Amino acid sequence: MLLSKLRQALICLLAGKVTLSYPAKPRPPEEGFRGYPEVDVNKCIGCGACAAVCPARLIKIEDVDQTTRRMTRLLERCVFCGRCAEVCPEDAITMSKQFELTSDQARQDLTHVCEVFMATCKRCGRCYEPATPLDRIMEPGFRHDQIDRGGDRCPYPELRAPDSESPSTDEHDEHDEHLDEPVSAQVAQVVEAK
Amino acid sequence: MTTQELATQLQERFDAEQGEPDGLASPGWLSVTVCSDRLLDAIRWLWEDAGYRFLISAGSDLRRERGKYLVTNLFAQDEHGIYLAVHTEVDPEQPSIPSITPIVPAANWTERELRDMIGVVPEGHPDPRRLVLADDWPEDLYPLRWDVEHGIKPPPSDCQVPREPPPEGSSVVPLGPYFPSLEEPAYFRLFVEGEEVVGADYRGFYNHRGIEKMGCSVLTYNQIPFIAERICGICGCVHSTAYCQAVERAAGIEIPERAKYIRTIMLELERMQSHLLWLGIAGHIVGFDTVLMQTWRMREPIMWLSEKLSGNRRVYGGNIIGGVRLDIPTEVHQDVLDMLDKLETEWKALYKSIPGDTSLMARLRGTGVLPHELAVERCVVGPTARGSGVAIDTRLDHPYAAYDRLEFEKCVHDGCDNLSRTLVRLDETLVSIGLIRQALQQMPDGPILTQIDEDIPGGFEGFSGVEAPRGEVVHWVLTGDENRPTRWRPRAPTYANLQVVPPMLKGSQLADAPINIASFDPCFSCTDRMEVVDMRTDDEYD
Repeated sequence: MLLSKLRQALICLLAGKVTLSYPAKPRPPEEGFRGYPEVDVNKCIGCGACAAVCPARLIKIEDVDQTTRRMTRLLERCVFCGRCAEVCPEDAITMSKQFELTSDQARQDLTHVCEVFMATCKRCGRCYEPATPLDRIMEPGFRHDQIDRGGDRCPYPELRAPDSESPSTDEHDEHDEHLDEPVSAQVAQVVEAK
Repeated sequence: MTTQELATQLQERFDAEQGEPDGLASPGWLSVTVCSDRLLDAIRWLWEDAGYRFLISAGSDLRRERGKYLVTNLFAQDEHGIYLAVHTEVDPEQPSIPSITPIVPAANWTERELRDMIGVVPEGHPDPRRLVLADDWPEDLYPLRWDVEHGIKPPPSDCQVPREPPPEGSSVVPLGPYFPSLEEPAYFRLFVEGEEVVGADYRGFYNHRGIEKMGCSVLTYNQIPFIAERICGICGCVHSTAYCQAVERAAGIEIPERAKYIRTIMLELERMQSHLLWLGIAGHIVGFDTVLMQTWRMREPIMWLSEKLSGNRRVYGGNIIGGVRLDIPTEVHQDVLDMLDKLETEWKALYKSIPGDTSLMARLRGTGVLPHELAVERCVVGPTARGSGVAIDTRLDHPYAAYDRLEFEKCVHDGCDNLSRTLVRLDETLVSIGLIRQALQQMPDGPILTQIDEDIPGGFEGFSGVEAPRGEVVHWVLTGDENRPTRWRPRAPTYANLQVVPPMLKGSQLADAPINIASFDPCFSCTDRMEVVDMRTDDEYD
């Protein structure tokens, strides 16, 4: 018994003081730590790859009008797996070292919204992401001065009107609701003109 | 016996049809279909004569695909290294199946779960009560049927699960539902006469997260590993590994050698930190907090190393289907080895100081006795089984990842008490240190991820067992269309181990109840991936 207690005392004494003075002194995490995912909104092209792989399904994508895609991230649900950063084709997402994310208003503080200009399909009128970086430069929405050059590689073939016909009136009605937005109004006028 | 011979035997004896055509291509795995009339005969033969160990059963709603429900009983034969799935098709018009619980007591919970979640009634089951669903969940709403939507919140019903009345002359001592011995919810009602526990009633499944439903309705194949990893807060990597291996087996994906070694290393790191964590908690429960302080101090470098290797202290997030995302480059090998050397020295010092400590021995030796026969009968797994002399270890019996190329032995003690279970874990930590050293040495260069170009085909099944720190984790996957499984059935080791607690507590002292329960290293949240349980004393089976 005594020998055993002496051995235990030795273990404790050899260890010494090990407690870190965190949070008085900051303790940066190791290289490669996956913390708060930071999004570079200037790089994001709105392709939605991150939303497709996110295990927590926290990235909501909505096309608010013909040229604007809104991506809402409810990061209070984030599991910090880093899959979004891994699949992002533009490297717009980086897993930062920020881990002190506790908040009494998590929904408010940890919601990240970014709005991305998208090309508009001139047939169905919905947003889409052009195929190559060159195409993106050529498409309206990415450059305001080229707004009149509509795309025709629409990713929604089921919605696409037959080539010879103009878009159906129903779709026009739907789009008209968004005309208060200046850019979409511009595009809508272009579509009308054609 | 090979799987081919087993298939022939089952065919001759019970008209069992061999399942999927390429089922035999992977050694150690056989899938057969038996009609429900012959099911009990087949199970009796497997259980009583052929030495099979029951794992879990799974109910699948295949009304869309085949117009049937499918009930799958999974077995393992550890001597021959065979996993066996026995399927039975159930007509949706008459959703019932003969209960196997009277033959295999370990099937008690899983058959009740079958009734709750799919609505297939096990005829002749000794306990007619609801097991998995919450008290106020409506009758006749079976969450795992495909036509029940994910995320619904039905209005509460007034269905009440009856509690077991205490035996004549005894009183009830509640243990839980908050934090009984571990910081997790579970509710034990201990029936005591004086200081002696004469029976127990268990109710748990408070942590229902509907993970299986999510996996079969909203997630995709490669999202599930990250959710699976969160089934358990301590040993999550085993779940994602088991899930990925099951899907890889179903889809016939061969993963790179290097990925196998990386999985092995991460699994062993996880085992070490889990055993150290357990030892600390055990020390805390028996009132010896020095153990808690010192083991958790020793554990911390493992956590730092995990953070360095994987980007996270605990939930590594390394597994995806086809391999791993995280490499272990040569530059960090030395860090790993340094950590292992330091841990080994400290661990050995700790190991030496324990057997002489009479107060610790008084709490551990001879308490929480789980007899060998009971352990075998209830199919307990992991250190709980090995502490009762049941020599099963998935790593050696059914090798996966890179374990077939590493040299190590099973850690078995036959004291059947809390001390034996402690010693098994102490030994295993040293074994893990050796395994990581071997794996680092042998790890080949090369890719870590197999590119998967084609969709995973639907209608195939895959199965995988992984030795978690707490015992054997099993995942069974039936692939489906829409880039997600039709059915994904995980089983945490505590699901098997917890069922043996009430009979084990019988005859023990009330003061020992917390350490007796904790000696299984129970993980209630893993077990509760679904819902509510009552557990009776073992009288009901006799």
